[in-house]
Amino acid sequence: MSKGKILVIDDEEIIRTSCLRILSPEGYEIKTAGNGQDGLKMLEEETFDLVLVDLKMPGMDGIEVQKEIRSRWPETKVSIITGYQSFDSEINDADKLIAAGFIEKSFTPDILVATVEKILEEK
Amino acid sequence: MFFGKFIHTLTGKLILTIGTLVIVGSAFFWYFLIKHQETELINNSIEYGYSFVDYVKKSTRYGMLLMRQPLIQETIEAIGSGKGIISVRVFNNDGKITYSSDKKDIGTIFDKNSPMCTSCHVSNGHTKNTPIWSITKGKDSRVMNIVQPIYNEFDCYTSLCHFHSKDQAVLGIIEANLSLALLDKSIRQQGVAITLYVAVFIFVLSSVLGTIFWKFVTTPLNNLSQGMKRVAEGDLDHHLTINTKDEIGELASTFNSMTSDLKKTKHELVEWGNTLEKKVQEKTEAMQRAQNQIMHSEKLASLGRMAAGVAHELNSPLTGIVTFSHIIQKKFTPDTQEYKDLTVIIEQANQCTNIIRGLLGFARASTVEKIPININEVLASSLNIVRNKADFFNIKLNTVLDNSLFPVKADPSKLQQVFLNMIMNAGDAIEGKGEITITTRNINEGGNNFVEIEFTDTGMGISQNNLERLFEPFFTTKPAGKGTGLGLAVSHGIIKEHSGNISVRTKLGEGTSFIIKLPVDGEKV
Ligand SMILES: Nc1ncnc2c1ncn2[C@@H]1O[C@H](COP(=O)(O)OP(=O)(O)OP(=O)(O)O)[C@@H](O)[C@H]1O
Ligand SMILES: [Mg+2]
Repeated sequence: MSKGKILVIDDEEIIRTSCLRILSPEGYEIKTAGNGQDGLKMLEEETFDLVLVDLKMPGMDGIEVQKEIRSRWPETKVSIITGYQSFDSEINDADKLIAAGFIEKSFTPDILVATVEKILEEK
Repeated sequence: MFFGKFIHTLTGKLILTIGTLVIVGSAFFWYFLIKHQETELINNSIEYGYSFVDYVKKSTRYGMLLMRQPLIQETIEAIGSGKGIISVRVFNNDGKITYSSDKKDIGTIFDKNSPMCTSCHVSNGHTKNTPIWSITKGKDSRVMNIVQPIYNEFDCYTSLCHFHSKDQAVLGIIEANLSLALLDKSIRQQGVAITLYVAVFIFVLSSVLGTIFWKFVTTPLNNLSQGMKRVAEGDLDHHLTINTKDEIGELASTFNSMTSDLKKTKHELVEWGNTLEKKVQEKTEAMQRAQNQIMHSEKLASLGRMAAGVAHELNSPLTGIVTFSHIIQKKFTPDTQEYKDLTVIIEQANQCTNIIRGLLGFARASTVEKIPININEVLASSLNIVRNKADFFNIKLNTVLDNSLFPVKADPSKLQQVFLNMIMNAGDAIEGKGEITITTRNINEGGNNFVEIEFTDTGMGISQNNLERLFEPFFTTKPAGKGTGLGLAVSHGIIKEHSGNISVRTKLGEGTSFIIKLPVDGEKV
């Protein structure tokens, strides 16, 4: 039994692979998409517990994808992967980012796992 | 040549005019005077002549009446021998000389048409205005000729000799020729004397006028023209010393005030030119500085943007490196060499992450949240952080904080970042034992209040070359792994965002002061 079904949307292959390789051994079922449109298509076909979406992508960016998901699949949780402080916010330490559901690049496996666990716990 | 020049001077002209006028005037005057005098003298001479002839007549009367002819002749001769008397002659009715001062003449008969006779005998009659005189030119001098008729008188025709009948009106004539030599001589002498007087007069007059004119007109005019020449040549200090109260004096004082005005104006112009030059130079320098600052800031900003772009791109590969290192590491036990090597990889990757964070922090465009804060408090918390660090065990931390420091609108966490970097840099510069002094104070510049925070260390100082690059991102003199060279670049950005500035004072081998100036109202100055 998987701990949850997670969709990773990122234009960068290495981020997708990293997430897959870190989260799969932890017992999560991981699917990946290279851009926002593909990700939304996959969401239409199957349900996910959590979507990790990159903030900066060509085409649809992370915020748009997040809005779309929140309106169409309110059950699905969304977390945004972002570079350090590239988001206009007062939040500047990792703990606070995690609390707000942000995942900061570059992340270590421990932080990613901790963040994902925390989000999914908040049922 | 001198005369030619002289005639063109005012003095020359004046003297020439006056001289001519005096000569002409006195010539007329003296001419008429002499003429008048001559007439007077001649009239006098004529009077004398008449009385002389009368005298002859009276002297011979006695002889005539007695008809004693030798006596008459003797008397005539005696009279004729007088000085200035040329001849005395008595004519009878027929024009024959009966007596004469010169015996040889006796018996000579003058024709009735001879000039001597015609003077009286006009168309066979007698003129009334007798005696008659005439003046003729003689051998040496002029000669006055007097002719007096001897009228028949009672005694004459009643005399015993009965020489003359009663019917005869004129018995004969007495003629005398008198020399006017003395008169002529005196007239000549007078003429010479007068000419001399006039000459002397003209000379004296010319000299006096010339001197006066030279002193009062020519010399001051020369001074004036020389002064003008000097002024024209640029010598504005030249002052005319003509103190007379006349028109020339007035001209000179006008001229003097003109030159002093000119000098003043010129001085003002020069001053103005100088200050203008200085002002232009100052403005140019200020503009240059502003320009340099703008260029510097822009350079920093664009460098920052570029660095941020690069840093962003590095995030993902770093994520990959860290992720896969962790994945592989899990396959080894911590005591294996592989595990340790992978730890090094992870650490180095994390170091990269830190560098990227610094860079992004530097380039971050986010707005800072400014609240009124007390700089002293921010400094105190920054000092607390470093105080426990081993690096600062040998360093004395002094604070000279102004208790009445103005509150500043600023982002405390950003300022803390800046202060920490300043203190760390100071600590690094000290290399062992030394002091760091942090001073805060209020200052007022151009009516605006600022708070100044000064970090002074006793470190090694900064070389001139490094000073120029201090605020560039990645400029560091510290060994790899210790400094990223972003501290001051980030600090610069933060202070700029607070409308403040950072300045540096340093001396190699003695220490460095970083001075941060923040505006009190938090607004752009
Ligand atoms: N107080 C000081 N005395 C002497 N040199 C200084 C001082 N402060 C800064 N510097 C010089 O300026 C350089 C740049 O300083 P900056 O704070 O920007 O970077 P860093 O300290 O080298 O690295 P970082 O702060 O990013 O860890 C330093 O490497 C050092 O050579
Ligand atoms: Mg530093």
